[in-house]
Amino acid sequence: MSFLAALGQFCFFLVDLATAALRHGIPWRAVLAEAYKIGVRSLPILLTIAVFVGTNLSLQGYNAFRPLGGGRLVGMFVALAGVRELGPIIAAAMVAAKAGTEMASQIGVMRIREQIDALDVMAVNPLAYLVAPRMLGSVLVMPALTIIAVFVMLASALATAVFQLGVKPAAFLEFAIRGVQPIDLVYVQVKSFIFGVIICTVSCWFGFTCKSGPEGVGEATNKAVVTAAVTCVSLNFFLSQLMYGG
Amino acid sequence: MGVIEFIGVSKAFGPNVVLRHLDLVLPEGQTTAIIGPSGTGKSVLLKHIVGLIKPDAGEVRCFGTDMARAPEREIYAARRRLGMLFQDGALFDSMSVGENVEFPLVHHAPQMSAAQRRDRVAEKLALVGMSGTEGRATAGLSGGQRKRVGLARAIVMEPEVVLFDEPNSGLDPMTSDAIDQLIVDMKAALGVTFVVISHDIVGTVKVADHIAMLYGGDLVAWGPTASVLRSEVPIVRRFLGRNLVLPTGPDGVAHLPQLG
Repeated sequence: MSFLAALGQFCFFLVDLATAALRHGIPWRAVLAEAYKIGVRSLPILLTIAVFVGTNLSLQGYNAFRPLGGGRLVGMFVALAGVRELGPIIAAAMVAAKAGTEMASQIGVMRIREQIDALDVMAVNPLAYLVAPRMLGSVLVMPALTIIAVFVMLASALATAVFQLGVKPAAFLEFAIRGVQPIDLVYVQVKSFIFGVIICTVSCWFGFTCKSGPEGVGEATNKAVVTAAVTCVSLNFFLSQLMYGG
Repeated sequence: MGVIEFIGVSKAFGPNVVLRHLDLVLPEGQTTAIIGPSGTGKSVLLKHIVGLIKPDAGEVRCFGTDMARAPEREIYAARRRLGMLFQDGALFDSMSVGENVEFPLVHHAPQMSAAQRRDRVAEKLALVGMSGTEGRATAGLSGGQRKRVGLARAIVMEPEVVLFDEPNSGLDPMTSDAIDQLIVDMKAALGVTFVVISHDIVGTVKVADHIAMLYGGDLVAWGPTASVLRSEVPIVRRFLGRNLVLPTGPDGVAHLPQLG
C-alpha cells in the first residue's frame, strides 16, 4: 500500500514538474551548467568502469568461443553485449551513483534547511528552478555519456583481444560490425534518454521528500540510487524485449 | 480588511490539532508577535500565511488572496509583496552573501540593471549591519550573521509585510538582543507590517505592538502588548510568568508597559 501511495505521489510530482517547466519556462543557462556538471563529474568513473568491463568481456568471450573454434567471434560478442545492453546500463548506473546521489543529497539538504520553502516564499517555483534544469541536463548528456562508454568499452575489448589474446584487429572489427546494426545505436540513444529521465526524476523526488535531519538525507540518497538503478535495470529488460524480442 | 486575515482556520496533523477555528486579523503597519509554547503551531501559522501549508478548513487571506485556493499566479503575486526570515536564514550555500541577497531581484526585478541591483544589495546589507560582506561565503557566517543576511534578502524587494520565524532561536543572549533591536530599527525605518513568531517573551515585549498567544490549538490571548501582559487568563499568566522578567523600579515592583 505504501509503495502504491509513493508511486502515486511520484506521478503527481512528474505532473507538477511538467506544469512548472511549461509555466515558468526553462532556464537554459542552468540546463547547460547542469549538463556540464553531470557529464564532467560522471565521466571519469564511467570511463574507468567501461575500460574494465570491455577487457573482461573480451576475455570471457574469447574463452567461451575458442574451444568451439570461434575465437574471432569475440568481436561480435563484445559488440552485442556492450552496445545493446551493458553500455546503457553501465552509463545509467554510474550517473545514478555519481550525479543522482548528488542531486538527492543536495536537494535533500535544501529541503531540511528550508531553502526550498525559501524559494517558494520568494515566488520562485522550486521544481522549475531546481529539477527542470537537472532533468534536461541529464537528458542532454546521458546519450553522449552512453556512446562514449560504448566506444571506450569496445576499444578496451579490442586492445585486450589484440594484445593479450592474439586476435587479429581486422577479424575483431569485422565481427563487431556484423554484430551491431545502425538501428542499435538509435536504440542505445532511446534507452539512455529514458534512463536519464528516470535517474533525475527519481533522485530529485527522493530529495524533495527527504525527512528531517542528517539521517533523512542519508536515507533519501540511498533510496535514490537504489531505486534509480533497479528501475533502469528492470526497465532495460522490457525495452530490450520491445527492441529485440522479435 | 487587514493585510493578513485568518478566517475560521483549522489544521490538524493526524490526531494532533494545531489550529482550531482561528479567527484573527493582523493589523497593518504594526508588529504582531505570535507567541506560545513549543509545538503549539506558531510556525504552522506562519506557513499558512505564505501558503506553504494549506488549512483543513477556513481561509488564510494575504492582501486579499486566498493563499490555499487561489491560482499559483495569484499566490506568487502575493508572495512577491512578502519577505520572510527563516529560522536559520535558509541561505543558499552555493552562493555568496551578495548573490543570496540579490536572488529575489534577479528573478523579479528584470527592469533593474546589474549596477542597480548591486546598489540595492549594498543598501540592504548596510541596513542589517553587514556592509561590505557581499563577497563572503555563507558557510563562514555565524548564526546571527546568517539571520542578518536572511533579513537583508527578505527586505530586498521592499515588501509590505515581513515575517520572522523565531528570529532569536539558537542565538546567545547578546546576539538575540541585537536581533531584537534590529527588528525595532527596521520597523522604524521601513514602516511595514511585521509578524514575529517567538517564544522569547523578553524579546517579544521589546518588538511587538500586538501579541497573539496560541495554546492547544486555540488563540488564548490577543491584543495590544501591554493588554496581553496584564491578561488574567491562567495559561497566559503561567506562560508569561515562566518567561518574562520585567524591569523593576526602585520600589522593587515589576512595571508592566503602559496600556494604550
